[in-house]
Amino acid sequence: MNTSSGGGMAALGGGGRSWSTTSVSASGKRIQREMAELNTDPPPDCFAGPKGDNLYHWVATLIGPHGTPYHGGIFFLDITFPSDYPFKPPKVVFKTRIYHCNVDSAGNVSLDILKDSWSPALTVPKILIALRSIFTSPDTYKPLVPGIAHLYLADKAKHDELAEEWTMRFAK
Amino acid sequence: MHSESLATNASNIIPMASSTNHKDFAKKKRANRSAKLKQCKLDARREQWLSQVKNKGVKEDSNGGTGGSLMHGSNARGRSIEKLEIRPRGEEENDGGSIHHYSDSESPSNSPTSHSSSVLGGNDSGTTFTGSSSSSRSSSSSSSGGFCSGTMSEEDDGGDDDCLDDWEAVADALAAKDKNQEQHDGSSDPTPKNKRAGLVDVHAEVTNQLNSGTDVSQSKSENGVPVQSASVNCRAWRADDAFRPQSLPNLSKQFSFPMNTDRRYGCGGSVWGCKNVASVPTSCPICYEDLDFTDSSFLPCNCGFRLCLFCHKRILEEDGRCPGCRKEYKQDPVEGEATFDGGSLTYRLARSCSMITRS
Repeated sequence: MNTSSGGGMAALGGGGRSWSTTSVSASGKRIQREMAELNTDPPPDCFAGPKGDNLYHWVATLIGPHGTPYHGGIFFLDITFPSDYPFKPPKVVFKTRIYHCNVDSAGNVSLDILKDSWSPALTVPKILIALRSIFTSPDTYKPLVPGIAHLYLADKAKHDELAEEWTMRFAK
Repeated sequence: MHSESLATNASNIIPMASSTNHKDFAKKKRANRSAKLKQCKLDARREQWLSQVKNKGVKEDSNGGTGGSLMHGSNARGRSIEKLEIRPRGEEENDGGSIHHYSDSESPSNSPTSHSSSVLGGNDSGTTFTGSSSSSRSSSSSSSGGFCSGTMSEEDDGGDDDCLDDWEAVADALAAKDKNQEQHDGSSDPTPKNKRAGLVDVHAEVTNQLNSGTDVSQSKSENGVPVQSASVNCRAWRADDAFRPQSLPNLSKQFSFPMNTDRRYGCGGSVWGCKNVASVPTSCPICYEDLDFTDSSFLPCNCGFRLCLFCHKRILEEDGRCPGCRKEYKQDPVEGEATFDGGSLTYRLARSCSMITRS
C-alpha cells in the first residue's frame, strides 16, 4: 500500500507512512491515481495531497490569483472523499477564513460541481481549478453568504477592500 | 499471396528487360501504341509460325521449350507486348486447363487494370506480375517457360528470333517516338488498348491455328485460348470503358477482382477501426481500471464518453447521468453509434446489443 503512494506523501511532506485503508477499493485506486496525476501535472497555484495516512482525507492549498483581492493569500482546504467516490463528490471545506460570497464562515463552499453538477469524470485537479475560478469570478447568483454577494454587486471596491483585508489577516 | 510473391520475384528480375514494373506499364503502353505498326509484322509472323508448326513436329517444340523461352527472354527486351503476349497463351494452351485457370483467375488483376485504376494499391504487385507474365516480359517468360512443355513456344521463339532483328530496330525507333508521345497517349488509353485487343485476337487466332497444326490437346486450347484472350481484353478495358466490347465473356472475372480489393479494403477498414479503438481510453476514466474489449466497445452515451461496465452500472443505479455530458443515460445504449466506429462496425453492433440485454 505505502509503496505506490509514497511519492504523493513526499510531495506533501507526509513521509512514508502506510495508508490506513486496508483494501484497495475502486475509490482508493482512483484517488491514488489522482494523486499521481497531481504530482506529475499540478494545476497552477494549486497543491493537494493526502493529509496524513488517510487516503480519503486530503489537504489542498490554493494561492490567491493575481488581480483579485485574494492575491498573495494561501488558502488551505480540506478535501474529504466519500467511500463511494467518485460516484459521489468529495467534500471541500475552506480551512482558511476567506471573505467570499460562496464560502461561509464554516468554510463550506457552494460550488455546483461539488453538488448537483458533480460528475464521476471530474477529478481533484478539476475541482481545484474550479475553486480557483471562484476567486476571480464569484457566483453571486447562488451565494452562500448573501451579504457578501450583495456588497460585491453593489460596491465591488468596498467588497474587494474587505476581501483584501481578510486575506491579509487570515491567509498570510 | 502466391502471385504477389512471384510478383516481387518478377519485379526483381524484370529490370533487365525493362527497369521497373512502372516502366513496364509505360513500355506496355508504348508497345500498345505501336501495335498497329507491328500488326503487319505479326501477320507475317503468324504465317511464319503456321508454316513452321506445320513443318515441325511437337517433339522439337517440347525440346526447345525452356531454352527457347529463355532465349526469348533475353531477346525480349524492348519488344512489344503483343508479341510477348502470345507466349503465355501458347504456354497455357500447352499446359491445358490448370494453367489456364490460373492465369484466368489472375487476369482480372492484370496490369492494365492496375494502371487504369489507381485504387488497387497493394494489389499492384500481384498485378504487375500477372501482367508481366501474361505479356511475357523477358524474365517472367523465361520462368514461365520453365513449366511449359510448349509445343508452341519453340515455334514462338523461332518466329520471334526471326523477326526480332528488324523488329528491334523498329522498336528502337518507336521508343524514341513514344517517349515524346507517352504523356499524350497516357491519357488516351482506350485506343491502344483496342489495338492491343485486336492484336490479342490475332494471337488467339494464331495460337488456335498453331494448335490445330500440333498434336497438343486441341479441345483444351481452343476452348482456352479465346477465353484467355478475352480475359486479356477484359483487362485492357475498364468496366465502364466506352470502347469495351460487349462481347467480352468473362465480366464476372473482372468483378471478382473488385471483390479482391474489397477484401483488402476490409483489412484497411479494420486497421482504421483499430485506430478508432485506439482513440478509446485504455482505462476507465472513472475507476482507472483497464478497459477490456467489451468495455472499450461499449458506448453508452451519444457524447462518446466511455467507461467500464461496472461504473456504468453503478451510475445507472444511483445518478443515472453520463459523467461526460451529465445527461441522463438512455435506458438503451446508443446502437447507431456503432456505425461511427468504422471497420469493426459489426463487432460493435453485436457488442452493444449484448450490452442492452445485459443492462
